[in-house]
Amino acid sequence: MNPVSRFFTRIGAMAAKETLHIRRDPRTLYLALVMPVVLLLVFGYGVSFDTDHLPIAVVDLDQSSESRELVRGFTASGELEVAARPANAEEAERLVQRGEVLGVLTVPAGAGRDLLRGTAVELQLAVDGADGVIANQLLSKSEALARALNVKLSPLDGVAPPLEVRVWTRFNPSLKSAFFFVPGLTAYLLAIAAVLLTALAIAGEWERGSMEQLFASPVSGIEIILGKLLPYLALGCLQMLLVLAFGTWAFDVPILGSLPLLFLAGMLFLVGMLGQGLLISVVTRNQLVATQAGAFSSLLPSLLLSGFVFPIENMPRVLQWLSHVIPARYLVNALRGLMLKGVGLEAIWGDLVALTIFAVAVLGISTARFRRKLA
Amino acid sequence: MSAPAIVARHLKKRFGTFVAVDDVSFEVERGEIFGYLGANGAGKSTTIRILCGLLEPTSGTATVAGHSVAEDPEAVKASIGYMSQKFSLYLDLPVAENLAFFGGAYGLSGRALRRRTEEVLELSGLAEVRDAQTGSLPGGIRQRLALGCAVLHQPEIVFLDEPTAGVDPTARRIFWKLIRELSRGGTTVFVTTHYLDEAEYCARIGLMVDGRLVALDTPAQLKRTHVPDRMFAVRGPNAARASGPLRQVAGVRNVEPFGAGLHVRAEPGRCEAQTLRAAAGAAGHQVEVEPIDPTLEDVFLAVVGRSAKKEEDGA
Repeated sequence: MNPVSRFFTRIGAMAAKETLHIRRDPRTLYLALVMPVVLLLVFGYGVSFDTDHLPIAVVDLDQSSESRELVRGFTASGELEVAARPANAEEAERLVQRGEVLGVLTVPAGAGRDLLRGTAVELQLAVDGADGVIANQLLSKSEALARALNVKLSPLDGVAPPLEVRVWTRFNPSLKSAFFFVPGLTAYLLAIAAVLLTALAIAGEWERGSMEQLFASPVSGIEIILGKLLPYLALGCLQMLLVLAFGTWAFDVPILGSLPLLFLAGMLFLVGMLGQGLLISVVTRNQLVATQAGAFSSLLPSLLLSGFVFPIENMPRVLQWLSHVIPARYLVNALRGLMLKGVGLEAIWGDLVALTIFAVAVLGISTARFRRKLA
Repeated sequence: MSAPAIVARHLKKRFGTFVAVDDVSFEVERGEIFGYLGANGAGKSTTIRILCGLLEPTSGTATVAGHSVAEDPEAVKASIGYMSQKFSLYLDLPVAENLAFFGGAYGLSGRALRRRTEEVLELSGLAEVRDAQTGSLPGGIRQRLALGCAVLHQPEIVFLDEPTAGVDPTARRIFWKLIRELSRGGTTVFVTTHYLDEAEYCARIGLMVDGRLVALDTPAQLKRTHVPDRMFAVRGPNAARASGPLRQVAGVRNVEPFGAGLHVRAEPGRCEAQTLRAAAGAAGHQVEVEPIDPTLEDVFLAVVGRSAKKEEDGA
């Protein structure tokens, strides 16, 4: 047999064995396939940044059928809910202070008449700025509603929505945060599972003592690494399919761009993350340490520095620099572009290059560090 | 080819200040069963790991199956089978799948792999448990599987590091039958053990003490060289109490408890069974005395010397 086919025979043997381990280990399958879907649902329904039924107070100084129509128009979607109808501004103020409502919508006297005449109607919205996220939501929601109703909204306390709120609104007209978090969450879930799975895979061989047996065989370092990588890459792809399918099905997240590009970006990211897990495993040789290092190095950066939760533009300069070495950042960017904006290769090629560089680098270092000696 | 299967020249391995293997040289002939004996920590596993290319020696050279371990470790790895001291197969996989994996790791595939898997299952008596999960099998059967995995690719040489440690006597016997069959088939077997009864099966034995190879020969020659004295077994209801009087007999060098009785070592030609029986009888102890062949244990004790003997007496 020639050396090339022996090379593939040995990788095949490693990969087949690893597949058998995966099939027999419910923990691995749980980690790869069940946990992401559960997390997706938890994030989607529980930790939603969406705040439906925001309670507001309405001070209708016009008391005409038109003004009531206007208020109904604001609250018909269910996003804003009229929790109280105080008679005057002072009463409304007290409601805000007690936290019973998050904002006060004031319809000025004469609004109905202006509407009938066709001139712009100016409504007043006072927002409780104590919770910035909710205040922004309230502002952007009422802005969108106001635009739809062709009324002008004048912010009372000058909390202007930041720039990204407008960008968001443009590509996500119904302002659902699911649209925004599904791409980010996909990157996050892939990162955790991929790093943890492979971090356990090589450390397990050390702990079992089978690594010594492998070293005494002609299987080379790169063959061990590739043989370990391939089954988990397949599992990771399955996981990505599952998360995206659930994201689009449960939360109606669109995929406007090209699916092949989406999977290419996902695969490059997976290879990098699996490589990171392998590197941890090669260095630590211990499952417990590898698990902790894996969780720490994948979970926190992909949650905090990827742009998934916190916009990178708003971070301190140092963290912005740091985010450049976090592969999740590039995947989040690429997925948002591909899913929500429907962009093509021209917009995300930089992300793909960055993901490729990370994957090649981390696999290269793993293989180099992986000496087939015992001491 | 008639060149030796293994040639070790002045091998030395130091871990920090601890010298695990100290200037060890030997040759192992092709097809031979070579036993490598010694206490725990004597340097047996370190020597094997150097020969398998798993550890680099601090100094010295080794040639295995005609290939230099330092210069061509891949060629060495392709021509050897190795069974490490710790059981290291995959417990979550069935027997046949462990074999299939190691076959693949050694580059076997397709029909050749299936044929060898069947042969090895047959040879090692594992055909009935082929689909059993390895973790559910008793230690003796697992060790046979580990041996099977090490010989699947028909290596010229197999290195077995304490293959029978912690295995019951029946399973050990079956295991050694396999080793002898391998040897008859032309495979060189390098085996470490600390069971001295097993060492009798070896064509030659190397004895390691504190990292040094202190004796190397056939079992029979080792006995002649290191235990030139005559050995007698003393049995009887009160044999143990006869120890004092027996020590007084002219020519007796040593009396040691052995089971319920005693082993007496005496200078050749100076005392006979008769003399010993009379001496015990005179002290009021009725005993049976008969001459015996020295065992490898006697060799081991003689070679390891005074320090080890003191420990034995104290225990």
